[in-house]
Amino acid sequence: MIWLGNVLVSPGEGGVYGERTLDGYRVWDPYRSKLAALYTLGGGVELTPEMRVLYLGAANGTTVSHVADYVETVYAVEFAPRPMQDLLEVARRRRNIVPIMADAGRPEEYAPFMEAVDLVYQDVAQPNQVEIAERNLVFLKPGGHLILMLKTRSVDVRRDPAEVLAEARAGLEKHLDIADVRWLEPYHQDHAAIVCSRR
Amino acid sequence: MLQRYWFGDVDEEGCRAAGTDPAALAERAAALRTGMDSFVPIDWEVARDCGVARTREEYVDLLRSVCTALARKKIAQSYQGRDVELLQMVRMLDELDNVINLLQERAAEWYQVTNPSFSRKYRSLPAKKMLGIIRKGARGGLSDVADEIERLAGTRTRLMREVSARADEVMPNTSALIGGLVAARLLSRAGGLPALARMPGSTIQVLGSERALFSHLRGGTPPPKHGIIFQHRRVHNAPREVRGRVARVLAAKLAIAARLDYYRGEAVPEFLKDAQARIDEVGVAA
Repeated sequence: MIWLGNVLVSPGEGGVYGERTLDGYRVWDPYRSKLAALYTLGGGVELTPEMRVLYLGAANGTTVSHVADYVETVYAVEFAPRPMQDLLEVARRRRNIVPIMADAGRPEEYAPFMEAVDLVYQDVAQPNQVEIAERNLVFLKPGGHLILMLKTRSVDVRRDPAEVLAEARAGLEKHLDIADVRWLEPYHQDHAAIVCSRR
Repeated sequence: MLQRYWFGDVDEEGCRAAGTDPAALAERAAALRTGMDSFVPIDWEVARDCGVARTREEYVDLLRSVCTALARKKIAQSYQGRDVELLQMVRMLDELDNVINLLQERAAEWYQVTNPSFSRKYRSLPAKKMLGIIRKGARGGLSDVADEIERLAGTRTRLMREVSARADEVMPNTSALIGGLVAARLLSRAGGLPALARMPGSTIQVLGSERALFSHLRGGTPPPKHGIIFQHRRVHNAPREVRGRVARVLAAKLAIAARLDYYRGEAVPEFLKDAQARIDEVGVAA
């Protein structure tokens, strides 16, 4: 990861979503991007130039664009038509983003396009986030990583976020080794990042 | 084991490429069905040996154009439904209401300063009448603003008729039960006809009162009896004691109506007759 002082940045052509630039680098704001928050808090998986990444819940492609600055190829999956339009625009200008319009919970929809990846990054607002992650493990290389951004409020607003996290952990532990779990305070409320690696 | 990928089919024998035309590949890929149990991720080098691309860049480029073409097609499809525009229409209508109210209040404040005899008595007049007085009395910028508000109000009225008409067409059953405008608002809250059709009656009942609902779920406060459907006369005219019941029954019937609208797309007179009778009965039976 590239740091200028204590500001996280990524190399690449700017002007994707009005982000600031610093010395020709694009500033990656932890208050906007949960992945940036994770890196700023000292966690996460180092992104390297030969990595292939499956990004679930790509939305408008803001975080996707930063990831694409670091890695070789990003498979960006998004389901909703409105953000997909923005994502297509981002993908038009970055030649290593493969935009896929499909439901992350139904990997069979996009499996014919997928190669094995080194990192699965998931940020979807669905109650069955853990289940979705499990279904996508087929694409993950052994030794590869999963970063799950657990939106506890999407799972169940009524329950205590800590309880939701404990449950998600237990679910993931069945298939993966958990390397790191942390809350994204103060950048994002009630969001936890779970970093796992595949045996 | 045969693997069907976007660029062709691969098995032990070798690989059969499906050409390099993005549009044709997209069409073929859209029809592919994959079983996840036997799925093996793509090895791009197989695609290269297959003659799809010479380099990794070429491979990703082609894959990108195929996926982009596919995504564009899917986006176009999802915007095709008649309900998608209705959604925007009703949101614009509600926004116009907000804007007109704001402008009107501001205009009244202004006019009050220029004309001391314009007291609180006038402020409580119906908005339309008040605006008329301002238009007559005011000069310069304020009168221009008043004219503009008047024009906006006209736009709003026309748009409202359009919304009702479109709602009658897109969701005939729901509109028949609760009126085109309220039906359209339900649609807007749900985010589309497919979403509304999949909602249980209990959700439809409290659509639009999310704040009260979640404050109830978090604990403490009483649950909301009604959201948007309160705007229907049967609910807001019902005696207080039975309002909750009327709302519940109406919402249950609306859930059925929305499904009929989505899956059948035409008015079903038998259903409507029974539903109306049932809703009327609840309102009286108190």
